[in-house]
Amino acid sequence: MEGKPDGALLIVAHGSTVNPDSSAPTLAHAAEIRRRKIFADVGCAFWKEEPSLRDALFLFDAESIREVYVVPNFISEGYFTQTVVPRELELNGRITERSTGQIWKYCEPVGNHPMMTELLLKRARDVASDIDPAEATLLIVAHGTDLNENSAVAAKREAEKIRALRKYATVLNVYMEEPPLVSDWRKLTKTRNIIVVPFFISDGLHSYEDIPVMLGIAEERRLSSRRPAEDGRLESRPSDVFRSNPYKLDDRSLFYAPSIGTDPGFADIIIEQALNAKS
Amino acid sequence: MANSIERCLESVLTAPLHCGQILVQETTTGHFVLSHRDDKPVDQLKVFRRAEDASNIAKYDDAGNYRPLKTAPNLRPGWRLELDTLEDLRRALDYFYPGRLAIFAAWKSGRLQTTVLRETLDRQSGMYRVAAKISDSQIDDLVADFCRSNGGCLRTILWKRDARATLTSTKLPDEKFDPNVDQAASGSPSAPTASTTSAATIPLLCQEACNLLIAECRKVVKGESALDL
Ligand code: SF4
Repeated sequence: MEGKPDGALLIVAHGSTVNPDSSAPTLAHAAEIRRRKIFADVGCAFWKEEPSLRDALFLFDAESIREVYVVPNFISEGYFTQTVVPRELELNGRITERSTGQIWKYCEPVGNHPMMTELLLKRARDVASDIDPAEATLLIVAHGTDLNENSAVAAKREAEKIRALRKYATVLNVYMEEPPLVSDWRKLTKTRNIIVVPFFISDGLHSYEDIPVMLGIAEERRLSSRRPAEDGRLESRPSDVFRSNPYKLDDRSLFYAPSIGTDPGFADIIIEQALNAKS
Repeated sequence: MANSIERCLESVLTAPLHCGQILVQETTTGHFVLSHRDDKPVDQLKVFRRAEDASNIAKYDDAGNYRPLKTAPNLRPGWRLELDTLEDLRRALDYFYPGRLAIFAAWKSGRLQTTVLRETLDRQSGMYRVAAKISDSQIDDLVADFCRSNGGCLRTILWKRDARATLTSTKLPDEKFDPNVDQAASGSPSAPTASTTSAATIPLLCQEACNLLIAECRKVVKGESALDL
């Protein structure tokens, strides 16, 4: 793969002041990309965590770093990629030249990449490896009604692309807050096996609790942002919800995957988005 | 190839180094040992060996609560991080105090620019736009409480309230704005004072108000702040 010896990668993401797992996948993908030594430097910046998007302006020394590739770790274009990130990073379009001569290239969000379809299929295979797709329904879950983001549109697009491959008996995009609703999965699906993949950047309240409750595979527990018990015996961990597959509900088997953004394959897509930057 | 941040780090590694609540010591074999400043050498410390371990140590405080602000003075004690290279040290410090080394290097080389609070507030959109309605006296009180080194945040504030103001909050001591003062020593009753320590210090600099402070400004405007102002 072509390296960027005088280029840095900056992965920008939302982060959270309450969810300890929000930035974890972004940091893990950054560590993996750093390990591959494609870029002279790899950094992350967050809207709600440190380093902030404003800090990012000073992360790369113009003497050694001539180009900075900014890749938004977001599922879709929306308020953050179109308003917050360009404003905080002082970007004026796809290419911005700083007073130092350093060039910042604003890349497409990760969720826009065509490889996302393959990754969703891989996730579905990973979580239900013994299941014949031809006899299963695949549900791609997004939030819906989030006025600022187009994640519902992105989930619909991915569902359409996977449907066109004719691998699964049925492929549906479902939402937490607007029809077709996750909670209506029994009515929406006819197959015995159902595979559910949350189309989110990280795990958190939605994937740990909200969606499982809507699916009927978990009780409401009031998830805390506290550290899980280190001996692993006293408390259950939020991620345990992904370890009890399949869930048997009536005559159905339900397979529930972690959020797509936690897949290590995201690192490849982040690199692709950077290398695809307009010049 | 060592980058400019590592070179900057190397230049201050002349003695034991303090960075926030962390003590960095170089071994005779050129390796690095990091620990919490309040831990004594005799304490039973859990040993870690990867820079990435710093991310997990920094995530929760001693009571197990998530730490949304990594420069808050609530880093948990009880660990010892042993690292082989300068690059590992840089990455570990970047997990403990994300971005602060780069900001320090930018400051040392004269590249760092600060942004006044009013400008940060005026730039906000969406749910944070309303935060700009905060009054000067409310800012005075809020910053004094929210950013104070003793219990709030260990950063040295470099930004001003507005383009006219000479100070950020009249209710914080002058040391809070002085990068030569070790905020962790001035904020913690158990740590040695700045004058008695021989360690070099990397200050944690705040060149622009963080998102947490902006969120708190919004709460003040909306009358929802839990702070006793
Ligand atoms: S504004 Fe700066 S000093 Fe105040 S809490 Fe945020 S990071 Fe700390």
